[in-house]
Amino acid sequence: MDKKVPRSNIIETEIPMGTVHPAALEPYRVRFFVEDEIVQEAEITIGVNHRGIERIMEGLPVEKANALTEKICGICSNSHIWNSCRTAEMGLGIEITERAKYIRVIMGELERLHSHFLYLAHGCEVLSHETFSMRVFYLREIVMELLAMIGGNRVQYGCSVLGGVRPRCDLDEAKLLRLKNDMDALEEGLTGFVERFLGDSIVMSRITGIGVLPQKQAIELAVTGPTLRATGVARDLRTTMFEYDDFDYNVITQPDGDVKSNLVMRALESFESIKIIRQAIANIPEGKVVNRDWEMVDMDMTESYIEVPRGTLYHSYALESGRVRHCIIRTPSMANIGAMQYACIGDQITDAQLCIVQCDPCFTCTDRAIEIIRR
Amino acid sequence: MGIKSFSRARAIHVMLVYTGGCNGCDIEIVNSILSPRFDAEQYNVFLTWNPREADVLVVTGPVTHLNRKPLEAIYEAIPNPKLVVAAGSCALMGGVYKNCYGDIPSEEIEGPVENIIPVNAKVPGCAVRPQDVLAGVVSLLPTLLDAD
Amino acid sequence: MFGNTIIDSVVAVILTVLVCFVISTLLPGIERKYIHARIQQRIGPIVIAPGIMAPIKFMFKENVKVSSPVPGLYKALPIICFIVVLCVLVALTPEAYKIPALSSLVAVVGFLKVEEICYVLMGALSKSVMSVRMPFPDKIKGAAHNNSNLSFIEDISSRRSLRMITYGSFPLYLALFAPITAARSIFLQDIVAYQQMNGPFLFTVSGGIAAIVFFIGYMIILNEYPFSIIKAKSDVIEGPYMEYAAKYRSIVYLTRGFFMFVLGCVFSVLFIGVPPTIMSLGFLVNVLVALIFVFLMGIFSAFAPVFTNRQLLPTILGTTLLGILAIVLGLL
Repeated sequence: MDKKVPRSNIIETEIPMGTVHPAALEPYRVRFFVEDEIVQEAEITIGVNHRGIERIMEGLPVEKANALTEKICGICSNSHIWNSCRTAEMGLGIEITERAKYIRVIMGELERLHSHFLYLAHGCEVLSHETFSMRVFYLREIVMELLAMIGGNRVQYGCSVLGGVRPRCDLDEAKLLRLKNDMDALEEGLTGFVERFLGDSIVMSRITGIGVLPQKQAIELAVTGPTLRATGVARDLRTTMFEYDDFDYNVITQPDGDVKSNLVMRALESFESIKIIRQAIANIPEGKVVNRDWEMVDMDMTESYIEVPRGTLYHSYALESGRVRHCIIRTPSMANIGAMQYACIGDQITDAQLCIVQCDPCFTCTDRAIEIIRR
Repeated sequence: MGIKSFSRARAIHVMLVYTGGCNGCDIEIVNSILSPRFDAEQYNVFLTWNPREADVLVVTGPVTHLNRKPLEAIYEAIPNPKLVVAAGSCALMGGVYKNCYGDIPSEEIEGPVENIIPVNAKVPGCAVRPQDVLAGVVSLLPTLLDAD
Repeated sequence: MFGNTIIDSVVAVILTVLVCFVISTLLPGIERKYIHARIQQRIGPIVIAPGIMAPIKFMFKENVKVSSPVPGLYKALPIICFIVVLCVLVALTPEAYKIPALSSLVAVVGFLKVEEICYVLMGALSKSVMSVRMPFPDKIKGAAHNNSNLSFIEDISSRRSLRMITYGSFPLYLALFAPITAARSIFLQDIVAYQQMNGPFLFTVSGGIAAIVFFIGYMIILNEYPFSIIKAKSDVIEGPYMEYAAKYRSIVYLTRGFFMFVLGCVFSVLFIGVPPTIMSLGFLVNVLVALIFVFLMGIFSAFAPVFTNRQLLPTILGTTLLGILAIVLGLL
């Protein structure tokens, strides 16, 4: 018997939150159906920040469209441009240079670090633990500076281009050295934080067993990414991506699927990311960063899946005389909305926002296109 | 400098409203206030989530259709004197989303923010840098201090 | 001659209250700058910003129409809160010991209860824009439970304050009554006199335990993290205070600092036996106690997340048991 099935259809009261709320920085509406402060049901309404990116991309030259995919999300912007370039590269058969491959992996892992740190910081903030939140934000600043160093901007770096990476993002000796030193500093800081965090019995009692998402339910709801791995399923698309062939890392899983598992999951995954970046710095091959030796031809519908910090990202489009057609993008949060609604059932309303945050929501990613259902 | 201006310069409550866009500006602004690295509180800028408490409203994003009314409601709820900072290129001119349906008329993007509420300061950037946001809020100080 | 004594007493009380008030406005700033900001490794605001400058700033803001079913009562509540805190302070001064009805523990407890009931009313009367009134097309075709009745976030906060009245503030009251076991009187005069003869109650076993209980009760009644469920940022944002703007908000700000100081004075009267009066050097003890309490509270709140009912109940139960232990030990 699933304990999370609502007991009755009669709802005592409804508490709507959003579209502006301190615990949910993004605009979305959530309605909690509450009985004696216990959430019986939750309904998340997205579409609040629908902006129609896929429609704007329609008919744009592919290089321009790639740059535009960055604007889908300010958190995982690099993943979008990476996957968008990857789609065209797969369709047109462009070989990317070895050095560019490594730099893309470095950028991807740095972005994973910054996304996971943001997750940890936001989680602590929703717990109202200002001190921990600030400590993680302080660590995150190291990553942001590195991203700004490589890409030139703190948020949207525009690293990948067709055939490799932008020459601006090439890593010289000084940059590699700084990257290496900062990884050491980051690992030290993160180790300290994780020890502090796991040793704090008040915080642990606050987050253990909250927002449980059982493994069976997670698979049923088609949850992706770290949220799925936190329920014990070792599914990570990085194992299937050719970019990660040279690297040695572990796929982290956590058993419980509650807030604690999710937070610990992100922390442990950050260590793996640091490991990957270190390997990339040590083995980065010499050579050109971009392969300009390709020709634009018409391309059929091509799909590409990659693992981004929050789950599986899907891009697909076709090219007609160098212009993008029928673009479809599916972001991880789209799959995780069901998990968010499910996770907060049966918990206190103070924890409800925490349960939503544990599934790593990014509604800006998700609200791009509206689906029109014709009946 | 009277007691009014003196006190206003030493306690500025900022509220953040995020109206669509890509989340980048939003995180940078929260980062600028929450992170010890930039620490807006050392300039006596406090983050609040209650419109009744706020002095300065920081708006990011191109104001999507569903966000227009909440934005107006929150602006109404702030007691005078109130100032608005529009941060990021979406808030300033609609960004890349402005003509999201090209020639087809669309109600989806209501922005830029200027079309909906009066804007006092504009902070450009995609995404804005935390330093710029702080500079934007601080640049409003003379207006805020002289308001009655 | 008799007239002169009354005038002297009144002047002394007024002076004490004024000095206490001025010192109390510094306390929120001290907590924010020297404790929270220091722990979080940043510079933090200037000391006068949260306690003094923010209330003055709000004084000069334009008043807005409050969204509340009973705006008059809603606006009166912070003033009542302030007067209640003022009355507690007046009751503690040695000049007030001549009025037995005011200067007894029962009166202090009664005043604190009024303060708590004010939170319930504030929460029930506040209808802010941040939840139900946010214009959003919620009740549409296909939405779940279209005919459910709506609650504002402040309504939850109000229900929680009711819960805090019923059991949440129990530790504080137990700790307040612990000194009676030693002094065998509910009048502050006797409690002070007993401690001046026999040394502070704080340094007995029962007093030491009761002091811990008092401290936890102090954090609970001040709604500081981790006990701030009535104004938890993760769901009810600011709870009862949501709709206060301009002058009323400034009173809310002032009351908080003042309340911190007055509770410190309550402790120094009941546990150390030093009543707050500007006329003696003992006043420094009052200030010191208030400062120590603010420091301890700042450290605890910086390292604790907000509690839900799940953690709150055991904590309060444990503290209550400790309080009972203190009283039993005192009686033995």
